[in-house]
Order: sequence, then C-alpha cells, then structure tokens
Amino acid sequence: MLSRLNPLTTLAACGAAATFTVAASNWPVSVAVAVAALGAGVGAGVLRRVLAASAVILLPLWFSLLVLHGLFFPEGRTVLAGWGPARITVEGLAFALEMGTRTTGCVLVLLLFSFVVNVPDLVATMTTRRIPPQFGYVLASTLTLAPAITEQLARIRQAQEARGLVLGGSLVQRLAAARLQMVPLVLALIQDAAERAHALDARGFNSPGPHSTYREVADTRGQRTFRRAVLGLAAAAVILRLSASWFGVPVLPSPLAGNE
Amino acid sequence: MSQQSLTLPAPGAAADKKRRLLELLGAASIAATFIFLVLAQPSDITNGVGSASTLLALGGFLLGAILLILGVLPTLPTSTLVLIPVALVLNIALGQIMGTTGLPFYFDAIGTVLIAVLAGPAAGAATGALSSIIWSFFNPTVLPFAAGAALIGFLAGMAARYGLFRRFYLAPVAGFATGIIAGVVSAPIAAFVFGGTSGAGTGAIVSAFRAMGDTLLAAITKQALISDPMDKAIVFAIAALLVYALPRRATFRFPFVRRFNVLAGKAPVAAS
Repeated sequence: MLSRLNPLTTLAACGAAATFTVAASNWPVSVAVAVAALGAGVGAGVLRRVLAASAVILLPLWFSLLVLHGLFFPEGRTVLAGWGPARITVEGLAFALEMGTRTTGCVLVLLLFSFVVNVPDLVATMTTRRIPPQFGYVLASTLTLAPAITEQLARIRQAQEARGLVLGGSLVQRLAAARLQMVPLVLALIQDAAERAHALDARGFNSPGPHSTYREVADTRGQRTFRRAVLGLAAAAVILRLSASWFGVPVLPSPLAGNE
Repeated sequence: MSQQSLTLPAPGAAADKKRRLLELLGAASIAATFIFLVLAQPSDITNGVGSASTLLALGGFLLGAILLILGVLPTLPTSTLVLIPVALVLNIALGQIMGTTGLPFYFDAIGTVLIAVLAGPAAGAATGALSSIIWSFFNPTVLPFAAGAALIGFLAGMAARYGLFRRFYLAPVAGFATGIIAGVVSAPIAAFVFGGTSGAGTGAIVSAFRAMGDTLLAAITKQALISDPMDKAIVFAIAALLVYALPRRATFRFPFVRRFNVLAGKAPVAAS
C-alpha cells in the first residue's frame, strides 16, 4: 500500500515523523514511533530488510551509549554501583535510554522510507518540481551504480589474483594489494564517467529551462492535503519545543527533568 | 533540434547571482549554527536531553548543506557532475577495500577528496553534502553530518587549489589541518543529536574523557581532535596516491587541474 503512494507523501510522512520524534525527545513517544514504523514495515512487506539494515546501525550505537553513559556520567547523582571512576547512575542510564530510543525511532522511520520508496518515481517527481535535475541524476545514478561497482571490484580482484595477487600477509603487502585493486577501479570509473558525460551532453541534460519526464506519477488531492497536514504538524512541534526551551514552558516533561 | 539549443540564451547574470547567494546563505547557515551551538548555548545536554539544541543543530546544518547543493549543483559542468555518483560509491567501496587491510580507520571521504582535487572546492563541497544525503538512504545516522562532509570537500579543494597536492608529503599535512576543523564542527552533532559516538574505539576515548569529568561536548570534541586529523591525513594521502597513479590524460581532462596546476607537471603532449 505504502509503495503505491506518491513518493512525496511517503517522504513527508516519514520526515515529519522523524522531526516529531526529535522535537518530542521523550522516550515513550520515540518507542511509539519505532513501533509504528515497524508496523508499517510489516504492512509494506519490508520488515526484514528494515530490521537487517537498522541492526547494523543501531546495535553498535546502543552498545556505545550504554557503556559511555551507563558507566561514565559525572553529572549523575543516584549511584547504583561504582568501581573507581566508573559509576552506574540512574541519570546516566536514563540519558542513554532517551538518546537511544530517539535515534532508533528516527532511523527506523527513515529506513522505512528508503525501502518503500520507488526511486524512479521519486526522481520523476523531483524533476517536475523545481529541484535541479542534477540532484535526481546523482541520486538515481548512485543507487544503480553501487551494485555495478561492487561487481566490477570483484572482477578486478579476480583478474589481479589470476596474475598472482595475494590478499593478506603483512601490512605492507595488504596495502600493496589494496593499491592494485583501487587504481584500476578508479581509472575505469573516471573513464566511464567521461563517456557518460558526452552522452548526457548530447541529450541536452545541462540545458537551462524546465525538464520534462516520461514518467507520470499519480498524485491525489487527498495526498496533497495529507502532506500539508503532517508537515504543518511537524513544524508546530518544532515551534512548540523551541518556544518552550526559550521561554521556559515545559511541554512534555522528560523523565530526566524530575531527577534534577 | 541541436541548432535550436545552440541559440538558447545562456543563463543570465541574475541566475548566477541567485546561485552565489544560495551558496553564501548555505555557508552562513552552517557557520551561524556552529557558532550558536558552541558559544551561545553551552548549557550541557546531559542536564536533560537538549531537544531545542538538537533541532537547531539538525536544522541549521541540514539547511546549509541543502542550500549549498542547490547553489553549486546547477553550475557544475556535466563532466564533473557524472563524477559525483562515482565519488559517492567510491566513498563506500574504497572504505570496504581499506576495511580488508584491517586498519582501525574509517576512510569514508576518499571519493569526496578525490573529486575535490580534480574538480575544485565547490564540487568537493557539493559531493560531500550529497554523499551524506544519499548515503542516508542506507544509514540515516550520517545525514546530520552533511555539513561536516561538505566542509571536508571544500577544504580539500582549497588545498588542491593552493598547490598542497603537488608534493606528496604536503597532502597529509593538509589532511591533518582539515581533520582538526572538520572534527570540531562535527563534534556538536555527535553530542547533541546522538549523545555519543557509535564506534567502539572512539567510544572508549570519549568514556576516558568523561571519567575525568569533562562535559559531553568537551569529551566528544577532544575525541574528534584525536581521531579525525589522523583519519583525514591518511585519506588525503590515499587520494593523492590515487591521483598520482592516474594517467595524465585522465587528470588533465579537468579544467581545475589545468588551471591551477594542481598536480605539478606538464600536460600530456596529445592534450596540449
């Protein structure tokens, strides 16, 4: 269902959810956003990919936050246990929880967007808006180039191994092996890029004025209203939070605030 | 069709002025955000999650990066533009190759520095910012560092323009200086947005400073001053080695390289 929406609608919804999470900075809100993102991932059938990609990012982050703030939090007062300079404090754990859940919520929501969105649709939509066509080109080109370059790198490694390249050994040998793979790769890529530039120039890519696209992306009045609503909501959350911090009005009391 | 496009008016001075304005606004937004975060609001976030500081850090740095992209991107020639996706993928792929050497560094800016050396500071800044934005499709946590990445590309381009890539031993020096500046600019992001760093090694250094009683921002800034200059010195050295290994006919195709004599030496006979 999500992938059939206009890409801008998905982008607006996910961006607004991430902004709202940061503006709220309240762990129950962050957890709710994370759970909602996972639920939407189940609905769109991308849950497994979202989980795999987010685990790579979030596990080291959580580990680092828990060790850093769990053990070393000089501002902490309520000490649970201590060994010399390392002290487990309630405030430190609460801070790690607050920061960790906030990042988790944002990462899950944004990853959901990148796995759900149809990149050609996104590029076509951006072309019809006033975003420079170069941005769309770079986006689409990078996403299609990444697997191609990985494949090219594997071919270069095979070719060099056939000529006697040995991976491993001492540090100097490994650096020499890295150089033997990098130089042909970079040279081939720069050569390819030059050819692509000629092809694009011949098709008037860099000519000024509006660019049109063959791809029609459906958009409905309902989606336009929805986008305006969620963006307005996110902006309101940001304004509320900023004014609260500048004028000292508490919005959502953080669990930390009570411990000060 | 092609005849018609030849007679199209060139983009006027007004459009150029608008783009220049966007670039300046972008740079100003990044600078103002940084100054505000460091000087005007050092109320440490560990006294409560500084959500307002986080929003300002994210908003100011991202807005700056996007304005820079909008200002620079349309001015780049197609030959430079097609290199940007290559640089983005190189940032990833070369990082992977270096990963197989088992060295404890990250090297996620090699492509950006390479483009900056070949195509100049503006292209470098746009590549750095775009790299973060597009990489965030796979890893959203790099998105807030877009301004720092743009700064690295810009500084690498300036180093190339003033001849620091003509001699191999000068490149790491330029990288070291870039690392100091980039580390100091990125530290508030790590502190205000993520409340720490995600690497095991960097996390240990931050913990050590925290154990000595530093504030979180101070600890992360000190950690950045230890890790970043070293990392960037190596990245600049690798980029220099790669550029030297490329044949002249590839490097002298770039007007920036020819105009500022970025790599000491004469143009190949065929191209001159």
